[in-house]
Amino acid sequence: MATSGTGGAAGADATDAGTAVALEDVRKTYQLGEPVHALDGVSLEVPRGSYTAIMGPSGSGKSTLMNLVGCLDTPTAGTVVVDGEDVAALTDRERTTLRGTTVGFVFQTFNLMPRLTATENVALPQLFQNVDRDQRRERARDLLERVGLADRTDHLPNELSGGQRQRVALARALVNDPAIVLADEPSGNLDTDTEADILDLFGEFHDAGTTMVVVTHERHVAERAERIVHLLDGKIERIEVLDESEGQQADDPSSRDRTDSGADD
Amino acid sequence: MRAIESLRLAWRSIRGHKLRSSLTTLGIVIGIAAVIAFVTLGASLQEGVLGDVSPDDRRNVYGWAAEPETEGGPLAGAQPVFSEDDLDEIEQREGVDAAYGYMPLSTQAIAYEGEISPQSDALVAAGPSYIRENRLAEGRQFEQGEREAVINPAVAGQFEEDVSVGDELTVALQGGQRTTVTVVGITESSEGLSPFEGFEPSPRVYVPTDPFYTEDAAASFSGGDSGGANNGSDGNGTEIDGNSSDANDANDALFLAIVVEAESTDDAAIERAKESARSYLESEESDASALLDDGLEVRLQTSAELLQQLEDVLNLLQNFIVGIAAISLVVGSVGIANIMLVSVTERTREIGIMKAVGAQNREILGLFLAEAVILGVIGAILGTLLGLVAGYLGAWYIDLPLVYPLEYVALAIVVGVLVGVLAGLYPAWRAARTDPIDALRYE
Repeated sequence: MATSGTGGAAGADATDAGTAVALEDVRKTYQLGEPVHALDGVSLEVPRGSYTAIMGPSGSGKSTLMNLVGCLDTPTAGTVVVDGEDVAALTDRERTTLRGTTVGFVFQTFNLMPRLTATENVALPQLFQNVDRDQRRERARDLLERVGLADRTDHLPNELSGGQRQRVALARALVNDPAIVLADEPSGNLDTDTEADILDLFGEFHDAGTTMVVVTHERHVAERAERIVHLLDGKIERIEVLDESEGQQADDPSSRDRTDSGADD
Repeated sequence: MRAIESLRLAWRSIRGHKLRSSLTTLGIVIGIAAVIAFVTLGASLQEGVLGDVSPDDRRNVYGWAAEPETEGGPLAGAQPVFSEDDLDEIEQREGVDAAYGYMPLSTQAIAYEGEISPQSDALVAAGPSYIRENRLAEGRQFEQGEREAVINPAVAGQFEEDVSVGDELTVALQGGQRTTVTVVGITESSEGLSPFEGFEPSPRVYVPTDPFYTEDAAASFSGGDSGGANNGSDGNGTEIDGNSSDANDANDALFLAIVVEAESTDDAAIERAKESARSYLESEESDASALLDDGLEVRLQTSAELLQQLEDVLNLLQNFIVGIAAISLVVGSVGIANIMLVSVTERTREIGIMKAVGAQNREILGLFLAEAVILGVIGAILGTLLGLVAGYLGAWYIDLPLVYPLEYVALAIVVGVLVGVLAGLYPAWRAARTDPIDALRYE
């Protein structure tokens, strides 16, 4: 049985326009001497326009989950549906295209191309989608303006502060109008003030309709989201809904019985 | 991603490592420059050796006798075997226009109006038509049987007062005899008139074989070299030494080489003349055949064939040197491959980023390949320029006519691209295969 999302029209149906990402009974096993179950039966639905935080200690499967949702990896078992496409059924090339067009990444270490300017970094994903150079620049400058870096468009990453770099990274993540933005510890390398700025920016874009998934182990970062998915040992331990006004608590139980973890809310 | 974008990105990363990129390119530059320089020098050398050889002696077949194994150019290992009778006989044969002997004569000095100029090998005895009309700057050919000579500008200009047509020269032969010649013609250049002489300019006096060789000079040979002649006898030789001008003695003189003129310059006529001469010389009736029994073999070749041999040797030499230079190209390409591998490792994270944001494997491949090709092409272009300059300086220094083998310039660029592709292929493939998950985690 699929989880019913907040948008909840047709469950985990791949064509459901209300669902950005749907995971169903996903398992990921690594063969490192003996099999390691990085994910052990996870079902999760990320509705469009939602803001989800994923929390958990090291080794709980956060990174694996992120790789799967980000189309960087395929599950050992179960299905991952991103923007209506079953990731496991795609060829490597199709998966790359899907990743380029529907997923935006924001990394803890920014991961900007060191020799490209801010504009070029933001435009990079469109470069691989054969968008015209002028069009790319226009779009990139527009986004840089929206993240507050209109005066830094031609700077190289090493000429920017950490917070500015993360803004560039966020702009890059948004350049292809992705179905989902995946942020992995987006404020892990930032000081408190800058962290707040970046998270405010996340909130802004979320309010503008962007689907956000933030992986973090810091409570105050996670609390910016509408709900927090707690991972432990490759399973969803519990799902905590924070924003009462959105009020879709029906989420939790259905996820919990998938993961065999004790329900405590 | 479009090709132009790949090139643009590749160029960015090349510029990002200026020193490393230049050093890598340097390997290719040196390799290509070495090849181009040596090829230029080779072509210039060929031009210098062969270039000014005019093909106006195309109907001449040059013959000499030597041991079959003897390697080398014209006259290598030649033995005097051709008698006056042989020449007369050959001249009668089908397809032969004229036949005359050729004999370089050792000299001690040439004197003009009391001024003496020491010369060791200035005298060349041959038939009148050896001096081709179009090679004469003034005067006429010498005539057989007359004490006449045609000189080249090197001789003419050797004395305080230039020698001109009608003047008399005194030539002291190796044996000590002195003989006086009347200059009847001057050639237009001092280069050799046939492959026998070689093509480099040097002072020469051309004289008819009769009387200069058959009477005067044969005397000094008859005791030794022509001792094996079929009817040679010490008695006759002694008589010649005594400066006899007995007509019969002329038959004793054996020529080192012969020149057979075919009726025309086309291949069939030349072949016919060659065959006539060969069949006669190898038949019992020729004087030469007796000597040929000693294991000598007659060689009959045209200028073109002789030049071809020389050209073959030069080509071989050039290919050898170019081969060595090409090794440095291989070393250069190993350098590119090495740097590209380092670059791939160093930029693992960048590869991961690009893949994460949607770069396909082939786009990553193209990016790194483009980088290697750019290095190769730049190396090829700079190498070509450097090679051309080096070739120019080399040709200038050795004093050769400069010839640029332009097809090699095109080839150099092609090789540069090829080297880039080959050297970049494996590193680029490695880059393309990089797993983005590992790459993003890479520190």
